Amino acid sequence: MTPPTAEKPWRSREGLLVLPALAFYLVVYLYPLSKLVSWSFFDPGFTLKFYRELLGEPAYFRALSNTLEISLLVTVIALLLGYPIAYLMATTSARLRSLLTALVLVPFWTSILVRTFAWIVILGNNGIVNRALVQLGVLDRPVKLLFNMIGVQVGMVHVLLPFMIFPLYGAMSRIDPAVVRVARSLGATPVRAFLRVFLPLSLPGVAAGCVLVFLLAIGFYVTPALLGGPGEITLATMIDMMINTLLNWGFAATLGVVLLVVVGAIFVAFSRLMGLNRIVGAGGEHAR
Amino acid sequence: MTAERASGGRAALWILCAVLIVFLIAPILVIVVTSFNDSPYLEFPPRRLSLRWYGTFFTSAHWYEPALLSLRVALVTMVSATLLGTAAALGIVRGQFPGKRSLELFLISPMVVPIVVLALGFYFLFSGYHLLGTPVALYLGHTTLATPLVIVLVLSALRVSDPSLELAARSLGANYWWALWHATIPAIRPAILSGAAFAFLMSFDEVVIAIFVGGPDATTLPKRMWETIRFEIDPTLTAISSLLTLLAVVVLVGVVLAERGRAADRAS
Repeated sequence: MTPPTAEKPWRSREGLLVLPALAFYLVVYLYPLSKLVSWSFFDPGFTLKFYRELLGEPAYFRALSNTLEISLLVTVIALLLGYPIAYLMATTSARLRSLLTALVLVPFWTSILVRTFAWIVILGNNGIVNRALVQLGVLDRPVKLLFNMIGVQVGMVHVLLPFMIFPLYGAMSRIDPAVVRVARSLGATPVRAFLRVFLPLSLPGVAAGCVLVFLLAIGFYVTPALLGGPGEITLATMIDMMINTLLNWGFAATLGVVLLVVVGAIFVAFSRLMGLNRIVGAGGEHAR
Repeated sequence: MTAERASGGRAALWILCAVLIVFLIAPILVIVVTSFNDSPYLEFPPRRLSLRWYGTFFTSAHWYEPALLSLRVALVTMVSATLLGTAAALGIVRGQFPGKRSLELFLISPMVVPIVVLALGFYFLFSGYHLLGTPVALYLGHTTLATPLVIVLVLSALRVSDPSLELAARSLGANYWWALWHATIPAIRPAILSGAAFAFLMSFDEVVIAIFVGGPDATTLPKRMWETIRFEIDPTLTAISSLLTLLAVVVLVGVVLAERGRAADRAS
């Protein structure tokens, strides 16, 4: 329906409603990010020394490769664990689906700090897992589950799993169950019907979930900082170190710019490829 | 035979998912159960039950003062993010101007910028205006984080809402703002309320920006928890964690009820 011409002035006036938010963003969002960029290039005159240092010093390169390694591993594990849950949600009754959704949403909305703290209590040397294993005679003495890669992976997968489940479920719920039934009636085994029909149709959800989880994992700070050890220093924890311990603002800014560029590139590439709404909407509707 | 195998596969799927759900829920349950411990050693399961750690939280200024600051920051964030976000979403959906799509992308982009990068930007910004360590820094930082959330929720509600009521009001001569207030806003009220509730929760739980811009003078509850976790395992943390979990559940139930209300409205 075409709005009558008298409608036009109304319409343009409604567009003005974005102005408060836009003004706020320019001052409190864009301006600080531009300060970040300028801190990475000036000291006080223009310089590339921070970037040169970043490339030259193995410790910084390790932080970058740690970040990518941790994020990739988290993404793969979250996909493997999230797919079955999403599949069950998409193929079960409405009642059970609501129950499953609630059971995923409650941890999703529980503070990350609380969940990370919970893992410290559970995985510590005197934690529940270690005490149980020692009492059962499985172990002679506690194994180290914290302040290493195991702790970081457990904690991060726990926090990011819902971000994988919701986009997966979104794609799967759009698959017409009749398609799978047809494949079965034509003689496909359940496994074959799943592999040849359901799985390919769910791939957009797989892509959206993986991008979202990887994106969030790259910038993750709380969990690596609390559950990781010296071997799990990431870009995010290094930024904190630069600001709060070493007082090296220029270098902190440079690490921030690197993080921003990596995340921005992934975001732009995939928002074109599969629609921004799917990435952000997944986080938005159920939240963060 | 295939049907049998299918139901066998189904049972395996259920068992696998039950294990995964336990993985998701167990940490929270463990903390809640541990919080009722009488012992300072985080026994699980507790040998003797008590509410002493809840008592510590509510009676020690070391804990309740940060909680009060968090409450203040979360309330301010909720109001400002809801106003900015709702207005922006209305402008995007109802307005007509060039670059709408890019503007929408820009307005929800803080959601994907790593919080630590935002926090660093705020640190640079606020240190220039002597705002580090003030609640104002927290209001502004948290509003940046929460506004995109409100925008996304209100946008999706607006896109499925029926504009005919608003058009009817206007064709009957209603003033634009009257139509907005009496026709459009009521239709998307559940989304606005959800956005407000989530904005509150996000701010109340937020720790990274609080660490970077809070300084020693503006310590929110999550910042105090963070400092404590790094230093020692204080059982009070289990009580606070349980209360934060309860808060999340309350917000979620509220949002679900608001959405139900909307569904009921549609049906009637």
